[in-house]
Amino acid sequence: MGNYRFHTPDGVSDMLPDDCRTKRDLEQKLRTLFSLNGYKEIETPGIEFFDVYASGDFVSQENLYKLGDQEGRILSLRYDGTVPVARLAATLFKDTPPPLRFSYIENMYRFRESGGGRQREFCQAGVELLGISSTQADAEVIALAISSALEIGLTDLQISIGQAEFFRGLMEAWEIPQEDAEEISKHIDQKDTVALEKAADRYGLTASAKETLLLIPALFGTYDTLDAFAERVESPRARAALQNVREILNILDDYGYTKYVSVDLGMLRSLDYYTGMIFKGFTYEVGFPIISGGRYDKVVSVFGRDLAAVGFSLSLNLCMTALRRQDKEFLSLHVDTIIGYSNEPGMRRLALSMAGDLREEGLVALVDCEGMNEDDLSHFAEKRGIDQMVFLNGGVCDCEEEEK
Amino acid sequence: MTDMITIALSKGRLADQAIDLLEASGYDCSAAREKSRRLILEDEKAGLRFIMAKPADVPTYVEYGAADIGVVGKDTLLEEGRQLYEVIDLGFGACRMCVCGPASLKGKLDQIPNKRVASKYPNITRSYFEGTKHESVEIIKLNGSVELAPLIGLAEVIVDIVESGRTLRENGLDVLEVIADISARVIVNRVSMKMKAQSIMPMLDALRCQLAKQKEQEEADTVNIQGEERAAT
Repeated sequence: MGNYRFHTPDGVSDMLPDDCRTKRDLEQKLRTLFSLNGYKEIETPGIEFFDVYASGDFVSQENLYKLGDQEGRILSLRYDGTVPVARLAATLFKDTPPPLRFSYIENMYRFRESGGGRQREFCQAGVELLGISSTQADAEVIALAISSALEIGLTDLQISIGQAEFFRGLMEAWEIPQEDAEEISKHIDQKDTVALEKAADRYGLTASAKETLLLIPALFGTYDTLDAFAERVESPRARAALQNVREILNILDDYGYTKYVSVDLGMLRSLDYYTGMIFKGFTYEVGFPIISGGRYDKVVSVFGRDLAAVGFSLSLNLCMTALRRQDKEFLSLHVDTIIGYSNEPGMRRLALSMAGDLREEGLVALVDCEGMNEDDLSHFAEKRGIDQMVFLNGGVCDCEEEEK
Repeated sequence: MTDMITIALSKGRLADQAIDLLEASGYDCSAAREKSRRLILEDEKAGLRFIMAKPADVPTYVEYGAADIGVVGKDTLLEEGRQLYEVIDLGFGACRMCVCGPASLKGKLDQIPNKRVASKYPNITRSYFEGTKHESVEIIKLNGSVELAPLIGLAEVIVDIVESGRTLRENGLDVLEVIADISARVIVNRVSMKMKAQSIMPMLDALRCQLAKQKEQEEADTVNIQGEERAAT
């Protein structure tokens, strides 16, 4: 017993003062940004019923942290921000007419391998825009994701945009059954052209269809990529998807964000979840996407309300890893003044009120609790890098200012 | 701006072949050729950094972005199941991942319920039997000489890579089912592919180009040899 008392479980970690202060600062920046864009912040419980996540089949049960309640029901720790918001939109907000704009900044729990900056407990900041299925809504969410990254100091940013409907349209036109389509989407997502070629032969695709399929993994770039490819595509569904991406690019250009955006039609993760555009955000020095988002119009309907939905989440912990590795400055709490006092009557009261005045001005002030004399206090201040030391001994004002 | 590219190689023959190919594709790999025990070999001028890792660790380095690119066998990729881009089939290191056992079991594999399967590749084994064949099996993880298992009754069959099949034959075993064709692959980290596209894309193109050239050469050689044989007769 007690063997683990000095340790924290895998995938979680203590957050030390500088990290914590920086994180709070970033959170506040994002909170302000979300509010200014009309997204209302909400908090959902850290514990949900397992069914909330299991019903839609969006999350595989291996990845959920599970526990039980006293009635024997299965509970799960909050896995993401979207599903609880969908539950809310369909239940407590069921009579609120759309559109609904929500934001959250909360810890998520995912049972998975941790490392490289990824944790099992990690903070996500995100938004959900519910009830609008327009391209403008798609673009608004992507633009807000870009603003979020810029706001917290990640300027080397790449956003890749894909489209789930594009792939579905092609599969439909080529009459490939859903199960096989899923397999193919995985090959495309991994850019595994070897496996794709085999698949194309297995399903007896025409030469031109096969050529199209093999082009998808390499389909990333800008407008030109889309235009060159659009001619090959006959499926109206896939064409509409390409049109959606083109319009999103146009709107993002109006936002002035063109330089951060590129198209990647081979990005096809979680196809059972996304029903339209998909996007991911990347930066230097972390091996995982820092932003993930897209359109998922079927998620709310799992809870009984037919409501379009688009959103994104940004992983704050990964962003902080990136910021640190990119040598961006972290905040730390700096003590401006320490005040000590002698035993003379009234000195303590004076010290406390002096500290109060300083704090009112926004300065960080400590009052000595150890009864240090003037020399000790001066030594202490020097050792701790405290700018100013004040010692109240009842005589004439005796301040010592240390040059920093 | 050209970025420094970090390449993770599987220590051993695969690394040598990968370096040969990179060099033939016009990349200066003299740093990687250095005979030393150093695990990181860097050539700032060429913009390349090589890390020599155990094969099973190569996908890990690349998934986490500690390396941008890796060269590793498909067997390792299947077993590790990581989130990567798998962009080029290099063709060398070719072999097959197979279910093997006594020849007497040929065609009768499905009749044994809850088979015991020994393997160095528990994940591939699980995904093949549970995912592809919809069958529950007991997996026994071994670390080498897997062929022993069916011989001494530890397992009915094994899942392992088969190159020439000689070890199998000498131990009275046979290939029962083929799970996948294996060869060396080039893998790329998902973020590097976007953030360092300017350096990585040309490298991938050069490798593909060189591979195509080599294939053409091989085919030409075969034709020549056939021609010479015909001339000799």
